[in-house]
Amino acid sequence: MNLPPKLQEIVDDFAAMSREEKLETLIAYAETFPPLPEHLKNARSQMEPVPECMTPVFLFGEQQADGGIIFHMDIPPQSPTVRGLATILANGLNGCQPDEILSVPADFFLPMNLQEAISQQRLNGFAGILAHMKNIARTIRAPKF
Amino acid sequence: MSYAHPESIVETEWVAQHLNDPGVRIIESDEDPLLYAMGHIPGAVQVDWFTTLQHPLRRDFITKEQFEEVCSSLGIANDTTLVFYGDKSNWFACYALWLFQYYGHQNAKIMNGGRLKWEQEKRPLTKDVPSYPRTTYKAKEPDKSIRAFRDEVLTQSNERKPLVDVRSPKEYTGELLHMPNYPQEGATRGGHIPGAVNIPWAMAVNETDSTFKPAEELRALYEGQGIKPDEKVIAYCRIGERSSLTWFVLKYLLGYPNVKNYDGSWTEWGNLVDAPIEK
Repeated sequence: MNLPPKLQEIVDDFAAMSREEKLETLIAYAETFPPLPEHLKNARSQMEPVPECMTPVFLFGEQQADGGIIFHMDIPPQSPTVRGLATILANGLNGCQPDEILSVPADFFLPMNLQEAISQQRLNGFAGILAHMKNIARTIRAPKF
Repeated sequence: MSYAHPESIVETEWVAQHLNDPGVRIIESDEDPLLYAMGHIPGAVQVDWFTTLQHPLRRDFITKEQFEEVCSSLGIANDTTLVFYGDKSNWFACYALWLFQYYGHQNAKIMNGGRLKWEQEKRPLTKDVPSYPRTTYKAKEPDKSIRAFRDEVLTQSNERKPLVDVRSPKEYTGELLHMPNYPQEGATRGGHIPGAVNIPWAMAVNETDSTFKPAEELRALYEGQGIKPDEKVIAYCRIGERSSLTWFVLKYLLGYPNVKNYDGSWTEWGNLVDAPIEK
């Protein structure tokens, strides 16, 4: 099973990097963390929380006309690592159809070898963000009555 | 009542006035390793609890020789005054200070309030990474009087001597490991070490600005739960980071003579075959 192409590209890039390069790249992702759209500010109650992260993380998915999903994220600036990891997932999955998102294996990130740069608990958080993005995709895919 | 060792902390204003003091090295240690890159106190260097201080292979800290290399490369001399600060109310700043003391660097302080207070006061942050002339640092043999290992913890538990579990109440009761959808936290059993009292680390700091609570409040907090200075105290949490803060508070702010941090903590105890557990 192939990953969505953009996510695959990111995984391949990380797989080839040294530990220092991984950290620098994570910093770059954290610095491009997208701002929360106006209509989602102070709307955490409508968003999907990610309790696996030690940081307050809230996700929101919007379906576009072609069926693809765009993710929005509310994560405090005091947690750049979590912001960086979430941005990787959003960049890799934005625009994908719900079924494509649901097909991403929970351990897709193992080839990235992130454990040499960040702790296991953060990887749990990374897996948690993906699991909750899948929840959102599942909800959006479900037939509406 | 003042702190037992008031010289063990400095305020943000003191740090602001010592940014260019060659006898002082400011060290940032965060829970989030990327925070330093996002902006840090001018002149500060980074010591990351994970990539800098952990042994790359074994579950242990870097060796004495590796520690000497870390210090030498950061331009730290044996007589440099070290000031640690970080995020999360200085958890990892205390953890780093504890490890520096483990290898014999006594002249180390915590910046009261950490990153949060520095940011609240709108003090300067920079992305410039400084470099200092290399030193030849000589570490001492590990000071095992501040670090507890599992056998000693078991004895402490069997003799019902003071043990402080500084995790959240739900981790203490073992409830957290059973929460649905919660990830594997690295321990196969939940609960706490028999005889341990639960005093969450956060009760020692003010939530608004991460500063330490006044001495009399701290004394009431710990003595009220039977944690007194007349006996050896062992603190633990999940991996030893939150309990480093409690270790610092007991040893330096309250002056308890014999306090140890059990860095194996729950990720060791909760996996240890035959270890007694209470819920």
